[in-house]
Amino acid sequence: MEDAVEAKDIVKQFGEIRALDRLSFQVKEREIYGLIGPNGAGKTTTIRIAATLILPTSGSLKVFGHDAVEEAAEVRKLITYLPEEAGAYKNLSGYEYLRFMGKFRAENHFELEKMVKDAAEISGLGDRLKDKVKTYSKGMRRRLLVARALMTKPRLAILDEPTSGLDVIHSFHVRGVIKRFVEQYGVTVLLSSHNMLEVEYLCDRVALINRGRMVAEGTPEDLKRRLNVANLEEGFAKVVGFA
Amino acid sequence: MLKGIRNVVSKELKELLRDPKILIGMIILPLVMFPLLGMVIGTSIESTEQSLQTITVGIADFDRGEWSKNLTRYLSSIGNVVVINITATNLNEAVAQLQTNPKATDLIVIPEGFSANISSHKQATIETYSVYSGKGLTEGATSSIISQLLAQYNRYLAPNLFKTEAGSIVKGQPRKIDPRALLQVTSSQVFVLPVTVSILLMFTMQIAATSVASEKEEKTLETLLSLPIDRFTILLGKMTGSIVVAAVSAVAYMIGFNYYMTSITAGFGGQLSVDLEALGLAPSLLSYVLLGASLFVAILSALALAVILSAFTEDVRSAQSYISYLYIIIMFPMLLAMFSDINTLPLALKIVAYAIPYTYPMLAAKAAFTGEYLVATLGILYVALFTVILLYVAARLFATEKILTAKLRIRGFGLRRREPTSEA
Repeated sequence: MEDAVEAKDIVKQFGEIRALDRLSFQVKEREIYGLIGPNGAGKTTTIRIAATLILPTSGSLKVFGHDAVEEAAEVRKLITYLPEEAGAYKNLSGYEYLRFMGKFRAENHFELEKMVKDAAEISGLGDRLKDKVKTYSKGMRRRLLVARALMTKPRLAILDEPTSGLDVIHSFHVRGVIKRFVEQYGVTVLLSSHNMLEVEYLCDRVALINRGRMVAEGTPEDLKRRLNVANLEEGFAKVVGFA
Repeated sequence: MLKGIRNVVSKELKELLRDPKILIGMIILPLVMFPLLGMVIGTSIESTEQSLQTITVGIADFDRGEWSKNLTRYLSSIGNVVVINITATNLNEAVAQLQTNPKATDLIVIPEGFSANISSHKQATIETYSVYSGKGLTEGATSSIISQLLAQYNRYLAPNLFKTEAGSIVKGQPRKIDPRALLQVTSSQVFVLPVTVSILLMFTMQIAATSVASEKEEKTLETLLSLPIDRFTILLGKMTGSIVVAAVSAVAYMIGFNYYMTSITAGFGGQLSVDLEALGLAPSLLSYVLLGASLFVAILSALALAVILSAFTEDVRSAQSYISYLYIIIMFPMLLAMFSDINTLPLALKIVAYAIPYTYPMLAAKAAFTGEYLVATLGILYVALFTVILLYVAARLFATEKILTAKLRIRGFGLRRREPTSEA
């Protein structure tokens, strides 16, 4: 089976700061792959390269065989991207926002309306989708954005901290939606998270990144066994030198 | 009751004065802007004074009598008056001959029978015509001086021995319109149009900068850039949105301006009801087209400039602060258009004025009065070229990661681009 993501020796230099240092990993199709690591480890940089927003200084990243630099336009057709702390246009209603985003991918009106209907179901926002986004709570806005990222059933959903800043109820909802979508539609997910509970619950495989380098990779169970820890949080602290 | 106020004030001052945007906008910029504006207005006044030190006046003596020659000798004897003897046979020829001398500002016409009337103690008549150029501050000043000199001569002979009928030369045609009346009607347009154009340009810049900066501030830009849509399309879409809003604003301004003009003209009453259309001073279709085209390319360039600058900011407030620094390149030509004639400026200032793209919509606004359509047309081409370059830069910014990662950092008193840092 073709790799959904193939990152090979990626280096990203910001001035004197080396954000990524020869990072390599593969994400299989229909897999949820998690990038975890401390702040500044390189998770968001990796995700931004995969989303074709920034360029690697060297190395390559391919999405379903398309190079994220040379074939960025092709890659953008295959992905949806949810940035950390992303906003939505506050003067649009939830429905208007979803239609605006859907029009870039829908082939016709019927497909667009199907997307919006799916998004309404995913978000669980009901009639509140008729209200302007500026009236939404942080949790409602995040649910809208997750729905936007999944409604098109992309081949690869890139989710940066999908439950960032959400309370338990909203986080539970979002995690459930991601899990269900992957099973139902075969979507591949590349996500980053600080929430180890979330990573254990969602991810098929996990990469532990520190200072731009891969320090461990495997299934959550595999990692716990190899690091001889009770949970991923403990393993994470052990790997980055806090335990 | 005011316990702790000193601590709060101290914190406030530190916060405010350490914010480079406030430091530059509130302190540094006025220290630069006001001397600069003073220099522009001062230079304008100086050039006006210089132009009034010597007045070149043509005398068309159709009388050729004793008193008309006496009047010519009197005017020639005045130190700062250069007299050109016009040898035409009628008024139109006299005007044409006068205008072969670019320095000539006024024409005195002494009609046949002038000397005979004076000799027989009948009131004679002299016609004066002032060349209308539509160039601002110097307009009408020479006609006042000529009027005073003739009044002086009149008193010297005997009070009211002759009367003066003042007229204007508009676009090469002698008109029976008092230059002061003409000036009153046209000066409001000469003043208000540059202000309107400036407000429109500044407003447009603010809209475009806010549009990009709010995408960054609201964290929607990353999502937008990851969509399967050409980046240049995003740029053009943003600019078109800003143009539409600016156009609505322009219409609102024009309606307001029209109301303002109607109010002013109504205030003049019947005696100053000058028919600008008959004089060829009402904006023609050509001048409307030139103004529209000039304004359009200027707005496009202002939008592109604002987009480029806002690409280096992180939030709306920063973008608006940085945009306000650019106002100087709009206000400078605005003041020039209002108070001066660019051609009378010293060479260095003239070069600066012509180099600023936003000078040209001001000149286009005045073209209806000055008739300088060539400069306005060349200006459109110049601004169009400037706009293409800016659009290219803006498109390059949007096509690369710079739109997300580039930042302006103000250190000390200079603007420096800082290398981006990873947020990973």
